[in-house]
Amino acid sequence: MNQLFKSGASVRGSTSGSNYAVKDFIGGGGQGEVYGVNASSGDFALKWYHPETSTSEQAEKIDTLSRMAPPSTRFLWPLERATSPDSAGFGYVMDLRPREYKGLTDLLNGRMDPTFYALCTACIGLADSMHLLHSKGLCYQDINWGNVFFHPGTGNILICDNDNVCVNGSTATVLGTPRFMAPEIVRGEAQPSTDTDRFSLAVLLFMMLFRSHPLDGKKESLIHCLDQQAMKKLYGSDALFIFHPTDSSNAPVAGIHDNAIAYWPIYPAAVKKLFEKTFTDGIRDPKNGRVLESQWRQALSHMRDSVFRCSTCKRENFYDPATPGAVCWHCRKVLSPPLRIDINGLCQVAINYDTKLYPHHLSGLRSRYDFTVPLAEISQHPQNPSIWGLKNLSQAAWISRTTEGAENQVPPGRSAILKNGLKIVFGGGTNGVIIWE
Amino acid sequence: MASTSINTPGGAMAKRPLHFFYLCDCSGSMSENGKIQALNQAVRDSIPFMIAEADGQPGVDLLVRVVKFSDRAEWHIGSPTSVESFVWNDLQPEGTTLMGAAIRMVADQLKMPPMEQRALPPVIVLITDGQPTDDAASAVDELLSRPWGKKAIRIAIAIGNDADEDILRKFIGNKELEARCLLQAQNADQLVALIKWASTAVIKAASAPPSTPVGASAANINVPTPPNPSNGNTDDVF
Repeated sequence: MNQLFKSGASVRGSTSGSNYAVKDFIGGGGQGEVYGVNASSGDFALKWYHPETSTSEQAEKIDTLSRMAPPSTRFLWPLERATSPDSAGFGYVMDLRPREYKGLTDLLNGRMDPTFYALCTACIGLADSMHLLHSKGLCYQDINWGNVFFHPGTGNILICDNDNVCVNGSTATVLGTPRFMAPEIVRGEAQPSTDTDRFSLAVLLFMMLFRSHPLDGKKESLIHCLDQQAMKKLYGSDALFIFHPTDSSNAPVAGIHDNAIAYWPIYPAAVKKLFEKTFTDGIRDPKNGRVLESQWRQALSHMRDSVFRCSTCKRENFYDPATPGAVCWHCRKVLSPPLRIDINGLCQVAINYDTKLYPHHLSGLRSRYDFTVPLAEISQHPQNPSIWGLKNLSQAAWISRTTEGAENQVPPGRSAILKNGLKIVFGGGTNGVIIWE
Repeated sequence: MASTSINTPGGAMAKRPLHFFYLCDCSGSMSENGKIQALNQAVRDSIPFMIAEADGQPGVDLLVRVVKFSDRAEWHIGSPTSVESFVWNDLQPEGTTLMGAAIRMVADQLKMPPMEQRALPPVIVLITDGQPTDDAASAVDELLSRPWGKKAIRIAIAIGNDADEDILRKFIGNKELEARCLLQAQNADQLVALIKWASTAVIKAASAPPSTPVGASAANINVPTPPNPSNGNTDDVF
């Protein structure tokens, strides 16, 4: 109904000269409509702008972005601008989102039930993506729940609507989306920048982990009509974190903000500290008060490393050495600390049947957070599956030392049998110790 | 809230109701030139888009009601109906235009109670092709005297050239908003476009105004730009 294109219409890529045949309507938004299209090189998505957003500035922006390499494969980046002989205006072609990726709105609507591990993976992917985008001097401008898609099984993410991306400091074309905009934008004092992206990122991470808004507490509960004016106060002039460490006047209200209340005790203190910082210091001081993407990535990776299952009910929990005697969120039994590996005293990774160690674990903090090539994984003894080991997937041999002093080489492809106190020398100054208590 | 998850403790995020009212003119003149058929088709076709819009706003519980008015005003859908369950039964034209009575029925529903303590601004879409045959002006006064009525986003769609624009202007109640909220459909395509816009873009604006173009922020207007009426097929004239 009243779509800009009907099936069978054709658009032309401005760089490649390829013809793209419109197949189906995917969805519409404030700026335009998205279609599935087909070219000789395969299937793609086409975003076509509404007349009021088909500006020459936007066309120039698409051309600029399409000449750049995307920050990572997680971005459904503009590949080329497209025009049509039959329709005024323009659009752009991008990769098609695979169907198994779902909107974050499904998560927030309660229609998706990912594991904590997958949720952490999605949050790490989001923080890492924004780190890579900002490292290129670019600013996203409009991070919100409609721009990120999520694979419920793996936690992998895809980021769409990259046509608002611009060079940090250049004139913004959008202000953002309510509930995600930084307070200084809501108050009309600032334009989108990497600083405001950091606030929006923290809001989205909070919403993914807590299925609640970090500023929706008692103040929100007292508002009858949540209109634009009320939102300007709640998310702008009167913004106050619901878990503010010293001011409880906006605490979450039972019966309304139950998700925030349920999740807060579960997550490790280190991650909660980052939310506290961003939503307290970061509200007053956009420049220095907000948590950097690399800090999120590190803290969230540690959090994912701490996922383990309750020995009683098998639900995932987080191991936090700072809270001994913690109970399982589901069965309320005291959690036994998991089998884990301590790496150089800097981090502890809970060992599950599917745990893998990556370059950032074993090659120092300067390594890329690359989850595509593990350097170690948990394995079972081929003859005796009750014996578990850590398999060397790297190119170099490790050395293992038992508490009794026995020393063994662990060549690539072989596994060190897991025992309490076993020390593994990974090389490059990285040592791991197995803790089983 | 009961948990709907197995892997983690939480459920869906907290929602606020967004009450959406259609006020549909079913007077005899709506039978001319296929107007009522176009209205029936347009609303029915807009439902999947409305569902998708609500789906994209996790904090919103979109609830639809419909009043029809001709010789009398009555609920076509009387209980607040979740948009996923919203089914459109065709309206039949007959009789006069008791628009005022229809507006009063909505005004009554915007008292507290039955309105909840916490909600989003309601959306009221008035669709008419003619002149009210009752005292619509005092009904509009009553609507606007209710805090929720005043806060509501009020859209008027005039079908053809014979609608009473004065009363529709009074219904909008804000000169600044008239260009966006008082709309005219001259043919079926335009009606389809306006109803789709009112049931999607306006809902989005009521729950979370879309990304705001720089420069548009100065006006505290919660209504997006409507579709351009010249896009329609002008062969099909009401």
